[in-house]
Amino acid sequence: MKLSLNLKTALCTFFIYVSFYSPIIAQSSKIDSSAMVTLRLDPGSARGAAVSQVFEEVSFIPLETTKESLFGSISQLEVTEKCFIVYDYDTKSILIFSKAGKFKAKINSSNIKDEKGKEAQSFWGFSLKQENHEDFIQINSGKYSIYFDLNGKLAKKVQSKDDKPDNGLKFADKTQIVEGYLDKKDKDSIYYQVGLVKDSNEVAKYLPYKADRFKNDQFYSGGNPFYDSGIADELFFLNYYEYNIFKVTPKKMLLAYRIIFPAINSLPADFAANPVYKNKRQEYFEKYPKAFYAISNTYKIGDQLFLKMHNWDHSKENKNALIYNLKTTALISVNGIEPDSSSFFLPVTDLGFYYDFSNRGFLKYDKKYFYTSYSSLAMFAFKEQSADKKPKYNALMSNYFKTENRKSNPVIIQLKPKQD
Amino acid sequence: MYLFRILITAVLLAVTLINTKAQTINPSHIGTAKGILRDTVHNYVLKSATVSIYKAADSTLLSYQISNNYGEFKFNNLPVNLLLKVEISHVGYQALSKKFTIPAAKNLLDLQTMIVKPRDISLQEVMISIPPVSMNGDTLEFNASAFKLDSNAVVEDLLRKIPNITLWGDGQITVNGREVKSILVNGKPFFGGDTKMATQNIAKNALEKIQVYNTIKNKSNPLDSTLEVNLKLKKGKDIGYFGKIGAGYGTNKRYESDLSFNIFSPKMEIALIGASNNVNKIANNIQALQSNSTFKGVGTNVAYQPDFRTSGLHQPNAGGVAFTYNFIEKPTYDKKNSLNSNYFLQNKNSENLYEAKTTTTLNNNEIITEKNSRKTNDVSTNHKFDSKYEWVKKNKSLNISQYLTVNQGETNSGSFRAAENGQNILTSTNNSINQSNYKNTSFNLFANYVLGQNYMKYNQRFKGFNATYNLTVNENSAQRLNITEFKSYTDPGANKNFNRKYDTQSEGINQQIDVELPNIKSIIFGNSKLAGIDFSITNNLNINHNKDHNRVKDLDEASQNYQNNDYLTNQIQTNVINETTGLNIKKTFSKSLSNRFNKDLSFNLSPNQQFIYQNNQSDRSFQNIKRSYSQFLPNATASYVHYQYGDFYKSYRLNYTTTLHIPTIYQLAPLTDSTNLYALQKGNVNLKAALEKKIHFSYSHTDQTNKNTLNYNLNFSAGTIKNNIVDSVLIDDQNRRTIYLVNADGHKYINFYGSIRKAIKLKTSEIQVSLNTSINSSRQPGYTNDVFSFSKNFNTNTALELNYTYKSDLALVLGESFSTYQSKQEAFNTEYSGKTLTTTLRSSYNITKKLTLNNIVSFNSSAAAATKTVNFTIWNANATYRFLKGNNAEFKFSALDLLRENNSIINYGNANGFTVGTQNVLEQYFMITFSYYPRQFGKKGVKK
Repeated sequence: MKLSLNLKTALCTFFIYVSFYSPIIAQSSKIDSSAMVTLRLDPGSARGAAVSQVFEEVSFIPLETTKESLFGSISQLEVTEKCFIVYDYDTKSILIFSKAGKFKAKINSSNIKDEKGKEAQSFWGFSLKQENHEDFIQINSGKYSIYFDLNGKLAKKVQSKDDKPDNGLKFADKTQIVEGYLDKKDKDSIYYQVGLVKDSNEVAKYLPYKADRFKNDQFYSGGNPFYDSGIADELFFLNYYEYNIFKVTPKKMLLAYRIIFPAINSLPADFAANPVYKNKRQEYFEKYPKAFYAISNTYKIGDQLFLKMHNWDHSKENKNALIYNLKTTALISVNGIEPDSSSFFLPVTDLGFYYDFSNRGFLKYDKKYFYTSYSSLAMFAFKEQSADKKPKYNALMSNYFKTENRKSNPVIIQLKPKQD
Repeated sequence: MYLFRILITAVLLAVTLINTKAQTINPSHIGTAKGILRDTVHNYVLKSATVSIYKAADSTLLSYQISNNYGEFKFNNLPVNLLLKVEISHVGYQALSKKFTIPAAKNLLDLQTMIVKPRDISLQEVMISIPPVSMNGDTLEFNASAFKLDSNAVVEDLLRKIPNITLWGDGQITVNGREVKSILVNGKPFFGGDTKMATQNIAKNALEKIQVYNTIKNKSNPLDSTLEVNLKLKKGKDIGYFGKIGAGYGTNKRYESDLSFNIFSPKMEIALIGASNNVNKIANNIQALQSNSTFKGVGTNVAYQPDFRTSGLHQPNAGGVAFTYNFIEKPTYDKKNSLNSNYFLQNKNSENLYEAKTTTTLNNNEIITEKNSRKTNDVSTNHKFDSKYEWVKKNKSLNISQYLTVNQGETNSGSFRAAENGQNILTSTNNSINQSNYKNTSFNLFANYVLGQNYMKYNQRFKGFNATYNLTVNENSAQRLNITEFKSYTDPGANKNFNRKYDTQSEGINQQIDVELPNIKSIIFGNSKLAGIDFSITNNLNINHNKDHNRVKDLDEASQNYQNNDYLTNQIQTNVINETTGLNIKKTFSKSLSNRFNKDLSFNLSPNQQFIYQNNQSDRSFQNIKRSYSQFLPNATASYVHYQYGDFYKSYRLNYTTTLHIPTIYQLAPLTDSTNLYALQKGNVNLKAALEKKIHFSYSHTDQTNKNTLNYNLNFSAGTIKNNIVDSVLIDDQNRRTIYLVNADGHKYINFYGSIRKAIKLKTSEIQVSLNTSINSSRQPGYTNDVFSFSKNFNTNTALELNYTYKSDLALVLGESFSTYQSKQEAFNTEYSGKTLTTTLRSSYNITKKLTLNNIVSFNSSAAAATKTVNFTIWNANATYRFLKGNNAEFKFSALDLLRENNSIINYGNANGFTVGTQNVLEQYFMITFSYYPRQFGKKGVKK
């Protein structure tokens, strides 16, 4: 029964796939859907759970507030063995904090000078690079690619064109995943959403599109298309306007999960392919605000599949972040995770109250912990609401509540998810 | 007199205090109840559920809350030892109800965990009870049927019953301390958008719910938004009618009558209005009549009361129709299509009596006093037809509006003026009779098209444009007869008599074309940043054509025939082309920190070049003047906005403008009409254009906290006028004045305006305090009998208002206004000053549900230097009684000017003199008025 269902859905997917991409005649590799699992998720039936039922370990790490370290919110977070590296859009700066939240250094355009002593251009994020087993923060500023060590000291500055393109993801065997892969042999300049390249040789290429598609249509996504699948050398990949979770390995791309949501939350099956929706997608989302236009934040930890859904309805009660147990089929809503003593009765995300989690999801998963953050404005509000529970804060949080206020820096929440 | 005032005040205050005391709850007997809500099926704590507390005996709503992040609720201030009922409701859950009593001994009751069950989808239709308040997404909804009110209640009565919603004495509405910016009915403005039209007319029983939501969602700042309220009507109640028909008759043949009838359907609104009275209740448009004919009544608002301040006696008759059609039943901010048309007809008979004395100082310290007594009768008929079409779709919008006005009438006036010298000896008289028939027609067409930036195509280099066309056509004609007799008592040879007829025609066409290209940086420089500097180009072109044709005839004493006056009979055409091209350079520095603050500093520099060409063609050669002007007009603005989340919003603005004032043909070379010897207007062909430079600074502070908000704003402006066109007056000992115009430097002014508002909400009552002050100081150059002099003027105006409302039973307004003027002439060493003080006490008290008592008392005191202080008190009172099943009928007894002291005082100063006097006003009368309010919401058959 299950097999036949899978077969049927596979055929169905294949049909969609063919109708989808047939206008572009290209030699794209075939996506393997033989191991696909169909998941039916109804957010409405998702349950709540205590923090300690979902997370083994909860730590609140307030980031030190000084005149120099004051920043807005965390829009990018990288975690190394010894520090947190934060990119803040408001101040356009990178801030380095110790794992205990102590401020270490700040990098912004004002402390990068070019030969003429002129300030460098603003940068909009950073990458963490390893060279000789040492971590470096790399930014792109104007024509330059600039490297800093984790103390914020300038390490080197090279012309971007001379900097070996090391962007993009890599597997252990050095196979590179190229997003927006252009096969130079193709005559029509066809791009592929996913290309696998090893030693400059093409391994496979998937999901072709024309270069001008972004000019002629609207594309809404939930953010990054690649996430940790929980297995070494396997990554999850998400495509526009479909609820499929693909798995990318050094050799090929597979369809891992096909998610079916209740009708009210679903886009029409032909939403991506049917030209009637072309350039009218926003109108469609406005008309059907409950329909999920994208999924994101797909992580598999043990038996738990984490995912987030995105729709036009910004109601605070939406159960748009879920944890699905692939073994027991239990479905938990992140919105319903109830603070308990393991979290000092403080919420572990600001979902449903403020917008940090609903905008960005988890900031980072480092194969052990999830990281999220919320503002001190939110933290002090939560503290007031939970005063009756007489929480016993640890020294770090007691001190934070004593010395800081609503206008202090955000707090990082480090969560260790349970495996089952 | 003073004693009497104190007495009135004391009586009014006593009524208030007795009433307040009787209904205050003893605060020592209050307790707390708390609990946690849990959905055990989904293992959830129930956030955002509605928890309502009622008195169990009569289901009176005492308080409500939305459960917090932990599913908890906690009510303080509940009565103890009284059986209460808590009701829990949430979308998708079965309602839960529980009775409890807070024991007096403990003052605290923990209801602990209350288990709420998800609602079975198949049972969705069955509503056990409707919660008073619920959260639907981010919209706070108040459900009308959960509030038990009198069957005749209107929306406003419901708003008063909802804890956390406040109706202020001045009409403002706040929800949890935040101001509601607009009220819609089923998503659309209701009959022109006046809040009162919706809240004071719509029956509470026609309302399904009140929705409160934020219109601007700024995700990075959850506290930044504008509150809007939508009144959602029950199904089938979105069609209906309401209105008022009333008539009253009183002593001294005083009468009033008014009609207002409004019909609405989901897409259409039609209003019919009519009014006639002889008690100075003048409505100049349909909306004024509509908003003062609401079912709820006017309360302490004095907008359309018999106006005892208006000078003169007026008998207005007015009628009109307003029509609105929404092509889109549920418009949104980016999708609108509506048409609105109004026709208003007004007929007015007015009688004005004016008696004043003006004292003028001459250069030789000689004083001339002019006594002026004037009587004017005016009969006029005014038509106004206007329409407005609005279309908005995404980033495009089109507005077209038009009006046509026709004013027609006849004025008869007689003025008797006598001049005395400093020794109180009569020197001359100038008496004249004027009779005129006039007809003025004006047509205006306005069209504006805005193509905004298409944010879906952010790469597009062309970011849109804004174009406006405005056409005004005027046609005025008048036939006038002037008979003037000037008599000199010192020089009989100077006596003059005039009997002159005028037939004047004028036509004017004015066209204004404004085009703006905003954000042109991307057109010229593409995506380059240019250090964040952006540009826009503006071009304003005004083409004005004016044609005057005057035929003037004088009575020839000998033949008793009117002979043509060759000097004044004239044709003149004026064409003015005014072209201003400008560049606007803008740079903004922004600093913001998520969830903390937002600061924006912007600089705007607009160098503009103005070219004016003026061409006058006349039958008189000296009026054939061609002039052109070219002037560089730099304007600049710096503004700073500082927003601290949940704290305050401050805005500073500094603005520099330059304006060119060119002399008109009537200032350059007028034809002087010699009939008015007390003001002979002469021209000056050498006049230059005046250039005004002005600096304006404004500061405003808006409170963003939730309670007892304090808001204020300050405005300061200062300027100089170079080559200002001023009067050079030659006054002779018989008060004959010849006014020449000259250019003079040195005109300076400083103006200040400030206002403060503070709102305090107490348990059962509300207080709002507002203070407004304006101070104007100027130094005006001028010549009197060839002696140059600066006139220093200093005027102030301060008004303090205190609003107090107790529940919906009592409204009390105490107002205090104080104004002064001072005028000093350095060269003549003279000084004039005066002051006016008015204290007003207004009260409205509902003795029973059906009987209301209103009082308005104002104490006025007017003083001018060297004259006697004038004091008078106006006391108006009325009692209204509502009857019939739906309170549809009203009987009203009014007593106006109970003390018979009404007066209209003239007291003002000018450059080198001051004027004091009186005007005729409405005087004491008593009136009985009967009104009927027809109203129906929903179709008759379906009324339940």
